[in-house]
Amino acid sequence: MRLYVNNAKCSGCNACRVACSINLFEENNPKKAAIVIQPHFPSPGVYEVKVCTQCGDCAAVCPDEAIKQNSKGAWYVDFTQCSLCEACVPECPEDVMFVRMELANAAWKCDLCGDCVDVCGTSALWITEKESVEV
Amino acid sequence: MTAIIRPTSALRVYIDGKDEVIVESGKTVRETLVTLKIKPELIALVVVAGEIKPKDYIIQEGDIVKVLAVIGGG
Amino acid sequence: MNGYGGSILRVDLATGNIYKKPTPVKLAQDFIGGRGFGAYYLFKEVPQGADPLGPENKLFISSGPLSGLMIPGAGKCDFTTKSPLTGGYASASMGGHFTAEMKYAGIDSIILEGISSKPVYLLIDNETIELRDASNYWGKGTIAVEKELKEKFGEEYQVALIGPGGENLVPYACINHDFGRQAGRGGVGTVMGAKKLKAIVIHGTRSIPVADVKAYRTAGRALYKACKEADFLSEWTRYGTTVVTSWCDEVGALPTRNFSAGSYEDGKNLYGPVMREKIVITDKGCFGCPSPCGKYSRSKKYGSYVEGPEYETIGLMGSNLGISDIEAVAHANLLADDLGIDSISTGNAIGWAMECYEKGIFNKSDTDGLDLKFGNIEATFEMISKIARKEGLGVLLAEGVKKASKKVGKGSEKFAIHVKGMEQSAYATHNATAMLLAYMTCDVGAHHNRSWAITYDLQVGRDLVVPEKVARVIWLQNFRPMFDVLGGCRLQWVELGIDRDLYVPALEAITGIHRTWDDLEKVGERIWNLTRLFWARENPGFDRQWDLPAPRFYEDAPRSGATKGQITKFEDVNTLLDMYYEQRGWTNNGLPSPEKLKLMNLTEFLV
Repeated sequence: MRLYVNNAKCSGCNACRVACSINLFEENNPKKAAIVIQPHFPSPGVYEVKVCTQCGDCAAVCPDEAIKQNSKGAWYVDFTQCSLCEACVPECPEDVMFVRMELANAAWKCDLCGDCVDVCGTSALWITEKESVEV
Repeated sequence: MTAIIRPTSALRVYIDGKDEVIVESGKTVRETLVTLKIKPELIALVVVAGEIKPKDYIIQEGDIVKVLAVIGGG
Repeated sequence: MNGYGGSILRVDLATGNIYKKPTPVKLAQDFIGGRGFGAYYLFKEVPQGADPLGPENKLFISSGPLSGLMIPGAGKCDFTTKSPLTGGYASASMGGHFTAEMKYAGIDSIILEGISSKPVYLLIDNETIELRDASNYWGKGTIAVEKELKEKFGEEYQVALIGPGGENLVPYACINHDFGRQAGRGGVGTVMGAKKLKAIVIHGTRSIPVADVKAYRTAGRALYKACKEADFLSEWTRYGTTVVTSWCDEVGALPTRNFSAGSYEDGKNLYGPVMREKIVITDKGCFGCPSPCGKYSRSKKYGSYVEGPEYETIGLMGSNLGISDIEAVAHANLLADDLGIDSISTGNAIGWAMECYEKGIFNKSDTDGLDLKFGNIEATFEMISKIARKEGLGVLLAEGVKKASKKVGKGSEKFAIHVKGMEQSAYATHNATAMLLAYMTCDVGAHHNRSWAITYDLQVGRDLVVPEKVARVIWLQNFRPMFDVLGGCRLQWVELGIDRDLYVPALEAITGIHRTWDDLEKVGERIWNLTRLFWARENPGFDRQWDLPAPRFYEDAPRSGATKGQITKFEDVNTLLDMYYEQRGWTNNGLPSPEKLKLMNLTEFLV
């Protein structure tokens, strides 16, 4: 299972990112979310969204084995085990592995909670089985 | 020959509080609204199968016609 | 304080003195936030008789307790000041992401005081708050400058800025943000320009404190669920405010050729579906919004990218000018946005000028050689630029139609479409008495968004003059602006029809304070009376004459369209006012009575 996004439907509202920060940290702070929304304005006038594809590359390099799988099979960071070494950050092909020490004492990433999908008004986000051939 | 009219919640009072009502096809949306005692000028949008239709659109058999009342405005 | 940024930031642009103080608890209790804070501060801190462009006027920028939270439409920011256009109360609401960022920076209100000796911009980056040299940006359009600032500081930074219109002190200059949102009306951008403040760049990384996170999450999710299940979510998202263009044309509300009629024979070319097909690229939304109304567009003909045009701009820069080409309207919209002038007042002023020209009150020597007829697209583009730069005929039009028509005379005052000096927005009110009353009594001048009552007119009878209509207008005026106070958007309630009671548990979970809509409407009524007091204080002799509509709506019936031959009787205008004052508890001259002020707990505000 993984999160998918249709960029053409993204309106840049950031509701997904607030829902995400509430899930990960019980805080209202979209800068502590695991989705990236990149606006491209004034031209071409579209939003580009980066989401975790659950590839597991981050887990493979974590020296503390802090990135584990939850009951959905999604990779998540165990905050108690993370040493903030940042080895995972450059490994992520989507740039959705986050370390910001001024904001949190551990790295964070998407744990596939699905709250973002629930609050996305344009249905730009959805969760389903991974496609057998990843492009 | 019948079709269905599905109005926005603000208009449901005109159809006894229900979500939708069965009507005769073959008449325009405008005429059909009048028979339901809904003033056509209260309707901002008519949508059939995802497409916007004018109020003079003749309702076809089996159409599900959504009508949006103008509630608010910008 | 739960739900709040926590501080009031004061910036003295003359001395460079910048300091923060904790947001007063009593202020939050009594005025809640957003527009409420603005109204309170305006009355308390701007001295009677202050020159709107002078050092004593202030610009109050306020977020609200819903701003930046997981709530549909949590992206509205209030800008309040003494209006350079009307001399009275100005409050403009700006969507986008600025208000959320204020909360993350720990700020509830920014209070801009004094006048800078040279162009500056204000940088707020968590605890770093500085005024910086803006000479590189002064004189430039808003699109390019916002892009430069975003590239300089980063995408996480939000920018609010003025264009040449504000710099040149056009009295209806606006403040721009996020490549398409504005605090549009009443000259809030003018005041920023008078202070020589080009932009505010803001960034914050705090979390907003919330009283009960679990309850907040549950209540927020319920609001999103209601929006996603709304009947017409997909149509609203597809067309935004342009969903009403065809309807307005059909019922005679679409302003045509300087409000001489309410239907436009070429209106079909401006309708929502036509616009969608021709130019719309992206449905662009404000913070937290599940029903993005912004229609980000690209005109191939003119090469312009613009968020819009909204219904208002389609009305005032399209049908009102006899222009039926939606791409031309989009380009006109871009010109106004980039130059930083309100598209509503600008379109209205150009429409007035076109009528002057067609009636022979202006000739080509007055119009700098332009053939300023209705329908002349190139002349329209030129006039927008001339107004923003105060060149040629733009000097006169930049005064606004009230002053311009007074100067010109020759009967042009009869077709200057304004109330209290603010140009009327895009609903023609020849025969729609509730909407007419709404325009007459709106707290900033002829603006529609306090009490959008025109459907009520059609439901109960257009020309009826009955207490129920007046009660409806008053209720909407007490209720709808509360969204501006809360720092959120009303359109999920207005357009999607969601149950407004869903906001109550959310607000309580966020702030820890239980408030029903009855409680909120009482605050709304209080603010309404306070801002009315402000008008009276600033305009000696302020009375019911100020509430009168443009003469066109009781003298000049349309000769075509859905309202052909229909007009409001002047005696009905007065009856409406009499009923309105009575129901509001005001004197027959339109001022809150002493009893009303006591009831509203406003006696402390009396001089």
